[in-house]
Amino acid sequence: MSLPEMSALFPTLQEVIFVLFALLIAVTSLIAAMAPNLFHNALGLVATLFGIAGIYFMLEAEFVGVSQILVYIGAIATLITFAIMLTRGMMFGRTSAMNRQGLAGAIISGLFFVVLLGIVFQVPWPNVVADITDGEALIANLGALFVSTYLLPFELLALLLLVALTGALLLARDR
Amino acid sequence: METTLDLSTLNLAVVLPELTLIVFAILVMAADVFATPKNPAPRQWTPWIALAGVVAAAIVNLSVSGREVTLFQGAAILDKFAVGLNYIILLATGLGILLSVKYIPRINKQVGEYYALTLLTATGMMMMGAALDLITLFLALEIFSLALYILSGLNRTSPRSTEAAIKYFLLGAFSSAFFAYGGALIYAGTGTTQYYGIAQVTAAGLANTPLLYAGIALLVAGFGFKVSLVPFHSWTPDVYQGAPTPVTAFMSVGTKAAAFAAFFRVMLVALPFSYGAWSMPLALLAVITMAVGNFAALQQRSLKRMLAYSSIAHAGYILTALAGGAAEGADAALFYLFTYAFMNIGAFAVVMALEEMGAEDAMQDRAKGLGKTHPIMAFLMAIFMFGLSGMPPLAGFYGKVLLFEAAVAGGMIWLAIAAVAFTAVGAVYYLRVIANMYFADPVDESADEVNRSLPLDVGLAIAVAGTILVGVFPGFWMNAFQQSMALFGG
Amino acid sequence: MAIDYLPLLILVITAMIFAAIAIITPTIFGPKRDNTQKKQPYESGMIPFHDARRRFSVKYFLVAMLFLLFDIEVIFLYPWAVVLRDLRWLAMAPMVFFLAVLIVGLLYEWKKGALDWGE
Repeated sequence: MSLPEMSALFPTLQEVIFVLFALLIAVTSLIAAMAPNLFHNALGLVATLFGIAGIYFMLEAEFVGVSQILVYIGAIATLITFAIMLTRGMMFGRTSAMNRQGLAGAIISGLFFVVLLGIVFQVPWPNVVADITDGEALIANLGALFVSTYLLPFELLALLLLVALTGALLLARDR
Repeated sequence: METTLDLSTLNLAVVLPELTLIVFAILVMAADVFATPKNPAPRQWTPWIALAGVVAAAIVNLSVSGREVTLFQGAAILDKFAVGLNYIILLATGLGILLSVKYIPRINKQVGEYYALTLLTATGMMMMGAALDLITLFLALEIFSLALYILSGLNRTSPRSTEAAIKYFLLGAFSSAFFAYGGALIYAGTGTTQYYGIAQVTAAGLANTPLLYAGIALLVAGFGFKVSLVPFHSWTPDVYQGAPTPVTAFMSVGTKAAAFAAFFRVMLVALPFSYGAWSMPLALLAVITMAVGNFAALQQRSLKRMLAYSSIAHAGYILTALAGGAAEGADAALFYLFTYAFMNIGAFAVVMALEEMGAEDAMQDRAKGLGKTHPIMAFLMAIFMFGLSGMPPLAGFYGKVLLFEAAVAGGMIWLAIAAVAFTAVGAVYYLRVIANMYFADPVDESADEVNRSLPLDVGLAIAVAGTILVGVFPGFWMNAFQQSMALFGG
Repeated sequence: MAIDYLPLLILVITAMIFAAIAIITPTIFGPKRDNTQKKQPYESGMIPFHDARRRFSVKYFLVAMLFLLFDIEVIFLYPWAVVLRDLRWLAMAPMVFFLAVLIVGLLYEWKKGALDWGE
């Protein structure tokens, strides 16, 4: 079957892929929150971030998707893994993700979910925010916006990274 | 969408005070790098370089004031409000540095990083007031929050300091998530992140209301964490107590001023047309905050925890002005935060002097009999306590009057009455400190040493001068902060 | 179009399935002989003298931080590079400032000796 023929099936196929990604995110984020081993939590989180990258691709936000994979799965996952390996006692034994406030936390998150669900049903869909340009034009637009309208946030980002670097020096240096 | 670059909108004046601070932060780093084990002198200059940076930024701030310009079609704005906030932040930073000079080297040898981070924190805080776009706002928020998480964990050998840093970081990251979610939903509801754009869309009734309201609710929760409103306040006492005292003093004023400035600007500039949706929830939050803050402060044995709960109560007072929704509320909040900077940092400075070597806190007992053993310290503390309780003719009084007036101007008379009642409750714990100092006997004769140093004395002198002078001559400052905010269409 | 990424998705799924087969098949069909020799990390060679999971030096954390920061920086270089030809100096100046701030950070970390592994 060629690709054009496949695109005839597109709506249903897209739904199937979406459901698969959603399931991946749901299951792995539960692992990230509840697994008894800290390292498994971290791996669960990585898988969650991967699923979210998949959603970005489905939304045709390729650049965000690629950034998500490079930064979150590439760098932040490494950082989390390092942080675990650097910490005595966390590599060994079980670190329970649950404490006495587990039930209260579950109730509040459940309520938050219900509220969000209520909002989803309230919103008159579809909600079109802006016209979507596709492919390379999108990335070019992004580049132009970084150096014009969003120049200030762009430079502030560099400052944020500088703060992170200085802070890492302050916290993580051997004395 | 084709973006054209219009260089005429590149008004660098908007960020000139911030740029000055960044340059001095880099100078601090350079001085720190040039210090060697043989020649540690450049490292000892870092506090004075940082202080020079604060003064330079204040001068730059003065030179750019009196205009009203935006940067790049509205990423940030320089108006009277932003200039006023800059002064407050610079004042808090300067006093914080004075308090740090002798204190920080005792707990952490890496003073260069400390002062660089302090200046970068102040930069982020100043951007909070200037931000005119939710993306700018979020980055500014992250810059100063991230720096403060680290600064509160500066004392790496103290479990309390580490606990403060971890707790602040986890809850702060959580609140940032709320904040980002709220911003995203507002974008989804209105199609723009710029304040004026949001106001335009909501005024025309084109917003997707459920998404917009959900966004506002999450944004309020995010701000609530930062200014410590009551359901989101649980981090405040622990962080204030565990963080090194100069950091606590700086952040108690800086965070509150920056976050409230941004809060006022978002609500009054971007979302004035949703006033009906947010005024009553904010009024209720204010009442709960004032109640919990004041009553919990009554029961604290630690002076730092007492001041932490008192800061929660003060957040409630300021929120009454926002709940009123009147534009004068922003001016009142700015004036109030200006006076609060003097009084609160002064109070923390006295607490710092009372701390015993190596401890990061001082108990109420420590103040007992201070009137006899250290009359000057006791007098200063009494001034700050009277000021915080809102006693005329000190600075805190006029601030409270303006705040409650703004609540009344917004039609919330009951809220102003509640706030006055809670102020009376608050007076109890401030006056108890004074009573302890003058009418109680010293508990521990051996511990009556007070850690003073020249920079600390200078800081105390500025704080007490501000508390008294702004109180006696409030007119000039009230004018300086009048009609400060550039409103939408105004 | 999102459909363009379908082959990629199929590739990812195929790889996962293949990996799963490669792990599951030996556990079902492979011979299992339990003895102390088999439980050694190497059947022949050095005898392990320490637990493999030991605490790492905190210096790795600084390296990881640097990696993260410059990873983020690279992400922002891509869209900028696309428009650089059209916008020229208007695009160059902001990026110079952006990179300068990051390089200040790198130099600072370097000069503070955080990158020296030393002894």
